[in-house]
Amino acid sequence: MTEIIKVEHLKKNYGKHEVLKDISATVNKGQVICIIGPSGAGKSTFLRCLNVLERPTAGKIIFNGTDLAKLKDGKQLDNLRQKMGMVFQDFNLFPNMNVLKNIMLAPMKVKGSSESEANQEALQLLKQVGLEEQAQQYPNSLSGGQQQRVAIARALAMKPEMMLFDEPTSALDPEMVGEVLKTMQDLAESGMTMVVVTHEMAFAKEVADEVWFMADGYLQEKGKPKEVFDHPKSQRAKDFLAKIL
Amino acid sequence: MVFLIKILREKRMKKIKFAKIIMVLVMMISILFTLSAPTYAASNKNIGNNSVLRKIKRSKKLVVGTSADYPPLEFTTSVNGNTKYVGVDMELAKDIAKDLHVKLVVKNMSFDSLLVALETGKVDMVISAMTPSPDRKKSVTFSKIYYKPSGEFFLINKKDKGKYRKVQDFKGKTVGAQTGSMQYQLIQSQMKGSKVKGLSKINNLVLALQSGKVSGLVMEELTAKAYAQNNKSLLAIKSNLKVAQEGNAVALAKGQSDLLKAVNKTIKRVQKKDLVHKKYLPEAAKNMQTSKKSNMFTKYAPYFVKGIGYTIVITIFSVLIGVILGMLLSLMRLSQNKLLHWIAICYIEFVRGTPQMVQIMFVYFGVGVLISNLSAVMAGIIAIGLNSGAYVAEDIRSGIDSVAKGQTEAARSLGLSQSKTYRYVVIPQALKNIWPALGNEFITLLKDSSLVSVIGVTELMYQTELVQTSTYQGVLPLFIAMVIYFIMTFTLSRFLNYFERRMKHND
Repeated sequence: MTEIIKVEHLKKNYGKHEVLKDISATVNKGQVICIIGPSGAGKSTFLRCLNVLERPTAGKIIFNGTDLAKLKDGKQLDNLRQKMGMVFQDFNLFPNMNVLKNIMLAPMKVKGSSESEANQEALQLLKQVGLEEQAQQYPNSLSGGQQQRVAIARALAMKPEMMLFDEPTSALDPEMVGEVLKTMQDLAESGMTMVVVTHEMAFAKEVADEVWFMADGYLQEKGKPKEVFDHPKSQRAKDFLAKIL
Repeated sequence: MVFLIKILREKRMKKIKFAKIIMVLVMMISILFTLSAPTYAASNKNIGNNSVLRKIKRSKKLVVGTSADYPPLEFTTSVNGNTKYVGVDMELAKDIAKDLHVKLVVKNMSFDSLLVALETGKVDMVISAMTPSPDRKKSVTFSKIYYKPSGEFFLINKKDKGKYRKVQDFKGKTVGAQTGSMQYQLIQSQMKGSKVKGLSKINNLVLALQSGKVSGLVMEELTAKAYAQNNKSLLAIKSNLKVAQEGNAVALAKGQSDLLKAVNKTIKRVQKKDLVHKKYLPEAAKNMQTSKKSNMFTKYAPYFVKGIGYTIVITIFSVLIGVILGMLLSLMRLSQNKLLHWIAICYIEFVRGTPQMVQIMFVYFGVGVLISNLSAVMAGIIAIGLNSGAYVAEDIRSGIDSVAKGQTEAARSLGLSQSKTYRYVVIPQALKNIWPALGNEFITLLKDSSLVSVIGVTELMYQTELVQTSTYQGVLPLFIAMVIYFIMTFTLSRFLNYFERRMKHND
């Protein structure tokens, strides 16, 4: 198995407040990782450090042989960032563009794809997430579940090597969670490398190759879903799982 | 305990921030002063001994400043749609120019701006029914007296005939005169029981009289009689004000003995032949009759058209300067670079914290000395543009702040650079959010362009005042100007609404 991203002694402080204390971990190609843990554990911060939306205070993030943490804001970082798709809790679709344009923007403006090429690929992706009918709609006229699926298609349009999901179903009405999780599961089965911060334990159990349990700024435990869920080793994990399961 | 330390630390941080603001402000102000100090020095140096006459000879032009709202001494008339400055003082100016063998250029501005213009070299001399008072003599030189008015008159409403006859009748009433004029001082010194009201334009004083804001006006005989003749509701009566009447003289900058000699020579010739009474006054009377005969507004349409043209030009260029400067300032303000950030903040705070009128005068009279051929229109455009930039910057900044942080994050995570993120994601959304505010700013700017009339730019408000003096009508020209301004702003707001709807269409 080839490793795709490697994190070494990652630390992140906000002023005096330490959010991530010392995290080291590796993600291999094709792996689906689900990160679980109580709120305030630093899960989202960790995920946002991976593509340097948050700049780490210390430590390394090795991706494609380059330490992202050392890179200044600029072209090289932009180039590596586009290889990691990201899906946000609040979708963050661009309200001033229709669905199709949302997906086409980055391929055209970053990669320099032609309009017809970008258009074709966008339609293909919309088909993949089951929304080809909504291509001309504006984001505000879609349901939350539909918006999130468009956001997934938008991230995929850059043909990323891996995908980061930051609580992708937390802002959704319950009846819409299913359609998004289904899209994600399809993606996982197609062999995409994924790191997912989630509270959907059933999804983690079924889809994840590895579950990471985070608390208090540390990566407390990691292993196969069965191990972590059924036989947690740390007291912290035991308490957490007892509360939610 | 820990909590307390935190609070203390925060307080200290705030203090440091505050100290920084003060520091940068002090820096800004000292920069301004160092900028204006050489300006001031230059203004005195610029007008070196006898330099004005040399300049007049070199340029073949004599620039005379006047406040053309004082018939029959100086006023305007319309000849084939062109504004002409006429009256006793203008006849004298013509003769002075003739004796110097140069062309006469008249610059019309408000009475209280005249001496500033003279001291800063904007005009070569001032001929505007000016009395050589001791205060004025401190800053400028005067020629010999060329004309002695016969006395001070009251201008009152005809319906008050018999009610006001002498100074004592005005006790407890308000009496008006031109700001900075000798009549104004007369009211202060000899009519202690009355309140004095000063306005810079005679036509506005007459309006104040007609609308009952003041009970009477003090002006010299000829002017009072001219208004009474041309306006049936007014009456001119001789006052019992005691005047140590010195008469009117030409004002020059200090140290211009050559020019003074030349002017006095012309005056001597004029007095010898009694040109004032034999030629100048009859000439002025003729012009006043023509303006009386032609009280039709169709004749004055060209005045308004010219004013509209200038108002539009000033608005367009000021908006351009404002938008470009505003974008620059807002990006500076959002910049990581602390220096740029603070420069932008200080500029915005300073410009928003000072009156636009003062800024316009500062640019024209102050900065104008550094760039000597800065025209009034240019100065007006620059001043309004610089002012607008500060407001536009704040609009743009609030627009950028109003775009959710998630939008930037989503764009950056897709690999868009900072500038592309701004260009394709943040700015289009920001623009939509601030469009109504920007529209307000543009409309305000169009209206505020009327302020540049103080430095003599012939925009709509200035032209309106000219029409007021030429027609002896106060309210109607104002009403017409109001309608024209409204048509312009209404058109502009329709135009802006059209774009707002188009942007809304998209979501």
